[in-house]
Amino acid sequence: MGLHAALVNIEKKKISPDEAKKFIFSEKNGAESIFIGRVRNENSGKKVTAVTYEAHNQAVIKSFESICNDSKNKFDKSAKIFLEHAIGYMPVGEISILIAVGSGHRDEAFKICRYILEEIKNQSPIWKKEHYIDGKEEWLPGRSLRAKVVEK
Amino acid sequence: MEIQLKLYGSSKILSEKDILVVQLPNNSNIERLRDVLSKIISQKHSKNNLENLPNTAAFFSEKDEVVDDNYQLKDKEFISIIPPIGGG
Repeated sequence: MGLHAALVNIEKKKISPDEAKKFIFSEKNGAESIFIGRVRNENSGKKVTAVTYEAHNQAVIKSFESICNDSKNKFDKSAKIFLEHAIGYMPVGEISILIAVGSGHRDEAFKICRYILEEIKNQSPIWKKEHYIDGKEEWLPGRSLRAKVVEK
Repeated sequence: MEIQLKLYGSSKILSEKDILVVQLPNNSNIERLRDVLSKIISQKHSKNNLENLPNTAAFFSEKDEVVDDNYQLKDKEFISIIPPIGGG
């Protein structure tokens, strides 16, 4: 136990920092680190009105659990972790990802939080489409999961 | 033979549905699938900036595991195309 990892359909339920704080609370923990990612209103000079996140749900949940367990094994086996990532259409300002970590000490809490975020960007099959003020939309380029990209 | 390709992210422009049925020569592997997708994109979607997709995408089997270019495809197999990811 001590791990909650989920995708949240933002059109049905919002990601809740209060829920995360309750989950990670423990009297054994002296540190809580919480990262909140939000949809911002600009990217590369373009005015963004909203984003749509899409995921390969089963593979994402597998990757979340693997990443979180790896982080516990590396930094603090007794850490409590709450991780939620949004899917669906969401306007500027909405929470797209929340990572909350309760740990004995601040160093481990910070490290676990950062590790999870970076590994999600490296491993989890999630895609982001930006919607712009002029009505256009675009899937953003990302990191290839192909083992070795062959130059052609 | 044919496979059912589940589309994600930028690849969804290849079909109005979530699944693209791809016709392939018998005994095709993932490498052949990449070639066929390149042809489809150059013939039907040349204006959509997808020319790198067949080279940069990964493919998942029905077990949601990455398969390499030598993976032998089966007739009617369900495969997911995984364009470069951008979550977090």
